[in-house]
Amino acid sequence: MTKPITVGVLALQGGVVEHLNLLRKAATHVLTSQPQPSADNGIDFAFIEVRTAPQLAQCDALIIPGGESTTMAIVARRLGLLDPLRDFVKVQHKPVWGTCAGLVMLAEQASATKQGGQELVGGLDVRVLRNRYGTQMQSFVAGLDLGFLKEAKNGEAAAAPFRAVFIRAPVVEEIIADGRQDGGEGKGKAPVEVLGVYGGEGGTGGGEGKGDIVAVRQGNVFGTSFHPELTDDVRIHVWWLRQVVDAARHGRLVLNGA
Amino acid sequence: MAANLHPATNGTNNDDFTVKAGLAQMLKGGVIMDVTTAAEARIAEEAGAVAVMALERIPSDIRKMGGVARMSNPEMIKEIQAAVTIPVMAKARIGHIVECQILEALGVDYVDESEVLTPADDQFHVAKSDFKIPFVCGCRNLGEALRRIKEGAAMIRTKGEAGTGDIVEAVRHIRTVNAEIARAKAALATGGDLAIATLARELGCDAALLKQTAELGRLPVVNFAAGGVATPADAALMMQLGCDGVFVGSGIFKDAETPEHAARRARAIVKATANYTDKQALIEASIEHGTAMKGISNAGLKSEEKMAGRGW
Repeated sequence: MTKPITVGVLALQGGVVEHLNLLRKAATHVLTSQPQPSADNGIDFAFIEVRTAPQLAQCDALIIPGGESTTMAIVARRLGLLDPLRDFVKVQHKPVWGTCAGLVMLAEQASATKQGGQELVGGLDVRVLRNRYGTQMQSFVAGLDLGFLKEAKNGEAAAAPFRAVFIRAPVVEEIIADGRQDGGEGKGKAPVEVLGVYGGEGGTGGGEGKGDIVAVRQGNVFGTSFHPELTDDVRIHVWWLRQVVDAARHGRLVLNGA
Repeated sequence: MAANLHPATNGTNNDDFTVKAGLAQMLKGGVIMDVTTAAEARIAEEAGAVAVMALERIPSDIRKMGGVARMSNPEMIKEIQAAVTIPVMAKARIGHIVECQILEALGVDYVDESEVLTPADDQFHVAKSDFKIPFVCGCRNLGEALRRIKEGAAMIRTKGEAGTGDIVEAVRHIRTVNAEIARAKAALATGGDLAIATLARELGCDAALLKQTAELGRLPVVNFAAGGVATPADAALMMQLGCDGVFVGSGIFKDAETPEHAARRARAIVKATANYTDKQALIEASIEHGTAMKGISNAGLKSEEKMAGRGW
């Protein structure tokens, strides 16, 4: 028997239970479809809430959920979690996924922040724009065509659009071409991949009016503007958990199609 | 532990309700603070509040000053909206459809149809499903909570007794809700739909929502504590009793010696809410908090002085 793969959900505030529930559902999909040649090569998952550095240290992967990113940053600072989180994402390069506020936390830069700015964990060489669509009155649900879900289905018929829930959502307004000043740590860093775009006109996607960037990945770090955890649609959680399994098996993240 | 919150149909389009209830889900584990000026809103934001509630007077001052308490001046709400990036909520009088329309047009993020203000309609609460803006409403028991959800509320809070700094009513209300949810679970388990229908008649609520509550083992929307939370320990108490987060009304700014003292109180209550079972964190938060508002004991209030009895 191998040690279970431990996936944490940062539980400072926000949609924690929602992610844990969908992770458990996703795990059954992953476990039933995963080739398991022998018993001692099998995989198992443990899902935990993370509020402390020792809990984070147990994790092989982490989700930073939706919530209020200003609150999460302030609480993480006061609990001494910001530096352990940065280490987890940028030094240990473990798989991390942020939804909405989590995407803000994982960006290297954010605009439309509170007066005086806010602290970030970083990891994605992007600048996010908070509250891109305005207040709650402009929150919405929209069907997104997400190409990576089709890949994951191994050539099956095109995946149905993902009902994406955007709540006071941020978007990626710019990919920072070279996020790091020094050539040291940043060298050989994976490029930022745009995995999802919403809408058409006046968006931030590539600056060509191609819609807003709402899903991105850079190496081990994945971020979405929207909240899959507010739906019953398990596909993105399954897709991400499969990468977590690969990362745990190989000691690093192996990207689809890389 | 708790199941996902996916309220079925309460008379609104499902996607609309997902968006309304979803914002409340994103506020869980956090503290929503009453503020009366942009400066107070900034103190709340810097302390880590997940949202602010804009109102003209904090409940303890409404209580003291008397008169008719109404929706805040839109100019003040706009100043607060301009000052912070976290969600801004505002209160409308029970049944006052036009105050709700004004708040919706102002683009606040949530409307609290609140017993803290003087009720405008003695028969009907606002038909909340008709609005695009989401609503939070107070409750003293499960029937009241489910009546509000049936009307379209996407978030519930205890009523407690606002402006007193006395937690006893809020505790009574969450304990009542919890006990009635336990009864609903037992009814479903032993008597199925018939027993649920009988209990729904007794509680005065929709049977389908009651059944959903019994299946989930909790309210089908986010449920915050409110009304009398004055200290970090009060906030943690309500969290341990099963609330998803905390509203603090007068407890931050009432009787604060300085703005810095209010900021310390705010930080302390945020910390206690996020770490509500961590005793060391609760000690630190209680020290940081300092003196609490003086408060008014509920036991000394006449029934006509209580706000919780407004609405039904």
